[in-house]
Amino acid sequence: MTKQWTGIATFAALAASVPFFLGDNPYIADILITMLMMAALASAWNIVGGYAGQFSFGHAAYFGAGAYTTSILLTASSIALPLCIGAGILAASLIALLTGAIVFRLRGHYFALASIAVAEIVRLTAHNLEITGGAQGLLITDITFGNLDLNSKEPFYFAMLFLLVTTLAISLLVRHSRAGYFLLAIREDQDAAASLGINLYLWKNMALVISAALASVAGSIYAVYIRFIDTSAVLSLRLSIEIILTTIIGGVGTLWGPVLGAALLVSLAEALRSNLAGELLVNSGIITEASPIESFLKNNLAHAHVLVYGIITVLCILNLPKGILGLFRRKQRT
Amino acid sequence: MLFFQSLISGILTGGIYALAAMGMSLVFGVMNISNFAHGDLMMLGMYMAYYLFTLLNIDPFLSLVLIMPAAFVFGYAIEKTMINRVIGHPSENQILLTVGLGLIMGNTALLAFTSDPKILTTSYSSSSFNLPGDISVSIPMLLSFLVTCLLTAVLYLFLSTTRTGMALRATSQNREAAQLMGIDVSRMSAIAFGIGTLLAASAGALIAQTYYIDPFAGHTFLLKSFTICVLGGLGSVIGAGVGGIVIGVVEAMSAAYLSSEWKDVVVFVLFLAILLLRPRGLFGRKGEQ
Repeated sequence: MTKQWTGIATFAALAASVPFFLGDNPYIADILITMLMMAALASAWNIVGGYAGQFSFGHAAYFGAGAYTTSILLTASSIALPLCIGAGILAASLIALLTGAIVFRLRGHYFALASIAVAEIVRLTAHNLEITGGAQGLLITDITFGNLDLNSKEPFYFAMLFLLVTTLAISLLVRHSRAGYFLLAIREDQDAAASLGINLYLWKNMALVISAALASVAGSIYAVYIRFIDTSAVLSLRLSIEIILTTIIGGVGTLWGPVLGAALLVSLAEALRSNLAGELLVNSGIITEASPIESFLKNNLAHAHVLVYGIITVLCILNLPKGILGLFRRKQRT
Repeated sequence: MLFFQSLISGILTGGIYALAAMGMSLVFGVMNISNFAHGDLMMLGMYMAYYLFTLLNIDPFLSLVLIMPAAFVFGYAIEKTMINRVIGHPSENQILLTVGLGLIMGNTALLAFTSDPKILTTSYSSSSFNLPGDISVSIPMLLSFLVTCLLTAVLYLFLSTTRTGMALRATSQNREAAQLMGIDVSRMSAIAFGIGTLLAASAGALIAQTYYIDPFAGHTFLLKSFTICVLGGLGSVIGAGVGGIVIGVVEAMSAAYLSSEWKDVVVFVLFLAILLLRPRGLFGRKGEQ
């Protein structure tokens, strides 16, 4: 466990020094912020999905709860940003408790389906209400926080990094506490865990609320960073599924799996979007700028990252159910 | 009159929902797998109907004759190569595998057909006739409903009278016992998934005239199909048939008397209520949850 604390500290120190090497490069900064955000979301999901084995298919609801609460409070009042984020945590925790009251009575397929249904109700409600801006979404203008320059990327990089490190620390604390062993017991066999006197309902809900609270903070930071949110960006089933895929591909139930998954998937998406493959082929002289292959790559691969996610997911489930980290671990042992 | 108009259009739409949900329920019953790629299989049916009509000028209802065998073979092949490898695995892995397959299908369609919605217009697409009392009935919807009834009847006869059908039902009731009785359960799974795909694609082809066709058009039907399956009892094919009509009518009624924006919310609330109050649904077997 000390080794893992050292790991988190080293990671925090290394990641915190990145902006000083990078200088002022908004493009790279944006990718890194997305990466940190997905890593934080996947790690938060991992607490309830990985440790407790409860595959929530509706985590976008908590991310969105944070994003919407913060946006609404910031535009409608002069409440300070940290209080808005706190209100977001409260909103997400309430939704989590409500969700938990319904979905934790169910198992397997029924649990997965119910968690989607709750998240869809949240999405449709935000889509239909007036206070949330309905289908048009919400735009945030003029925010200030202390003397931070909220037009630069740096504060958001450090905010997301702080959130990720906090999430990793909480994951480690939960994992090695009494509650963590209860969660693992629940994941392995709910009936056996219940027969040992573990209160399934209480511990599953606790894991979900912690996870939801952390996801909502990611949503709040995202809303202030992008300054525009709508239901398809922050509440969609697609986002919920991306959070799960990130964790699964990296390694579910491990501390660093979600971080690895986020690093891989976000860089992959970016490489496809910027047509890295095409540029590489052109630069190495294999094809020319004008060749049909290049124009095909340029026109199509930009939209293909979700397709590639799908292919990776299928390959992972069929060949590496423990994720990339699982493969690494097995090799290490033998 | 609003009541009867909503009732009629609810029943007609519900028929299509039923067809899509029956395929999902059959797959769940025989294989114990929730198929999250079901909506994308519907989408493939929509595109097949669209291109058979625009390129070869084959009427969408006639094109079913071509779409059904193609879809069956496609589903059978997916099951044999991929899905059979996760039967009996934790349900999360099965769900993620089908989610992955759905992403592949939807995004391949996005690359191939672009995201521009397509509209299939035949000479009778927007025609309708009036029942007494000014209730209008859309002709393509009525035809779709009749084809759905025919397909349901054929499926029912197949499941209840043929040897393969009975073997499918036996596998659905108890996989181990069916295997002990000498039924090739792995072949039954492939057949079930083939039929599930066939029904999804048929439902897609039947609604191709009524809905916009785009690479993610199936997704709304995915969640609705799950709701219907749970309402009817996951695994019960007849339950899915009845559930489809019920959900179609509930939706049309809430659109008429509540508001069309909130009709999906009503469906999901109903879904959660069934899960909590009667998790085995209307026709489900006892002890499943």
